[in-house]
Amino acid sequence: MSVDERPTILDARVARRVHAGLTVDATIRLGDEIGVLFGPSGAGKSTLLRLIAGLERPDGGRVSLAGATLYDAARGIDAPLRERRVGMIFQDDLLFPHLDVAGNVGFGLKGASRSERARRVEEVAALCGVSSLLGRSVGTLSGGERQRVGLARALAPRPRLLLCDEPVSALDLPGRRRLLERLRGARRAEGIPILYVTHSPAEAITLGTRLFLLEAGRVVAEGSPADVLASAGDRSALRHMEGIRNAFGGTVAEHAPDGEWSRVTLDGGPSLIVAPVGLPPGSRVDVEVAGDEVMLAVGPIAGLSARNQIEGRVEAVAVHGREAEVVVRVGETRWLASTLASTPASLGVAPGRAVTLIVKARSVRVEPAGG
Amino acid sequence: MFDDLGPLWLSLKVATAATAGVAALGVPAAMALARLRFPGKGLAAGVLALPLVLPPTVVGYLLLQVVGRRAWLGEWLERTLGVALVFHWSGAVLAAAVTAFPLFLLPARGAFEAVDPRLEDAARLLGRGEASVFLAVTLPLAWRGLAAGLVLAFARALGDFGATMMVAGDIPGLTQTASLAIYDAVEVGDSRRAAGLALGVSSLSVAALVIAQRTLPGREARP
Repeated sequence: MSVDERPTILDARVARRVHAGLTVDATIRLGDEIGVLFGPSGAGKSTLLRLIAGLERPDGGRVSLAGATLYDAARGIDAPLRERRVGMIFQDDLLFPHLDVAGNVGFGLKGASRSERARRVEEVAALCGVSSLLGRSVGTLSGGERQRVGLARALAPRPRLLLCDEPVSALDLPGRRRLLERLRGARRAEGIPILYVTHSPAEAITLGTRLFLLEAGRVVAEGSPADVLASAGDRSALRHMEGIRNAFGGTVAEHAPDGEWSRVTLDGGPSLIVAPVGLPPGSRVDVEVAGDEVMLAVGPIAGLSARNQIEGRVEAVAVHGREAEVVVRVGETRWLASTLASTPASLGVAPGRAVTLIVKARSVRVEPAGG
Repeated sequence: MFDDLGPLWLSLKVATAATAGVAALGVPAAMALARLRFPGKGLAAGVLALPLVLPPTVVGYLLLQVVGRRAWLGEWLERTLGVALVFHWSGAVLAAAVTAFPLFLLPARGAFEAVDPRLEDAARLLGRGEASVFLAVTLPLAWRGLAAGLVLAFARALGDFGATMMVAGDIPGLTQTASLAIYDAVEVGDSRRAAGLALGVSSLSVAALVIAQRTLPGREARP
């Protein structure tokens, strides 16, 4: 995957001695794309984000955004926060508790006329899926709703860069999926670079087009997610990867006449036979499958007990340490199959190759769609 | 019973003016103590809280050393502005304001400290300048604590005796507030007047408390 085509919008080199054990010194260049800052906790990911935002002052360096210099130690430039036009969403959403949802979303539109403000609030609310929440008090929202309101609030004043500081780490899996979908939609609609901090390998592999691997305050690898993970080898950041789970939205399609199984259609993707679901057809559901429970074959297999054989195409293979994640595109859905490191090579699985994913009905977890 | 409303009216006037003065100086002082780091901050906080622990007559005595007619500031005020604080109701305002100041400052500082500074940063990133951040985020979130401090300061200003006596004196019709008038009434054995004034000044304090509780918005629901 080529990652060097887009013109640079964010060009930042910042350095700061945080404490005796950590000095952040990193260069981040980003075009109209999602860049992911990935690394273990304590690597300085959030600090780097705050330095670029201007929430902390670097000891040295230079930050330019869409041609404007926000910070330049050599020239003594340090633009005030209000003039930077940098949007940010946070791990704990930092919504204003004394304002309702509309008041939060419109907070950055102070200079606009009443009608322009109302129009833009409606626009970003629709983009972030919070239109129906505008009249609500923020105290009544779920964690996922709060984060989507925070995203709408950050986008409303048309920032030139969006920074995301582990925004989904406190959310459940369906909440994560919904926010990340909105984030991708927002990047397409607004055409701005997004820099996203995470320590989740699943997000690192699937979210962005450019991955920065940060260790001890420095970018130790940069490029497409699969390349970076492969080059990172057995680094500490990847040694203790959490189990990867695939998450989708879907609809209950039908139930077997004898109630033995149900069928669920994934949004923009395949149908799955799953264990019986106690919801009527048409119900919206959240669907999860662990990466460990997705098997990989190079073609359809006859005489197999597993009920689901799904045809897809390999997008990327990310080998890390003794394990690998194979990213497979099925329709508009993206699946991760976790294997041993040598498996993709021994099967001849490489980007572009057609493969079959095998999933047992019992391995699919289905829950009613939540907020 | 309320045959003589003069002292009550003067007390109300003095306490209101003193509370306004406390708010005008106390909000910036509380904000500075809550948000800024500067050398001597602990000392400044201690000095500003002194009237809370000093006897009111001592506060009055110290004020006289500053604004008395022979003191440097008092002399300057009288010479340049023609204002004499001593034996004037404005002296009572000053005395009440100084003794009431810490009762506003302490809860106000706590209220500002309880506002998450990251919310203020979020507002700045959304394009707001410092004044706008203060008015749209900090002040509304600290409002309950500030209002509680204002009620305390008002009640304290309404009841001051010692400092007012020292600075403004006890001149009927001029500087005799309700507290001083009650003392005088008891001195001369006019228990009817003392009781009436006591009831009146207590009603004002309770009214301030009730009004504050009624007008404060309810607690925001948070998850």
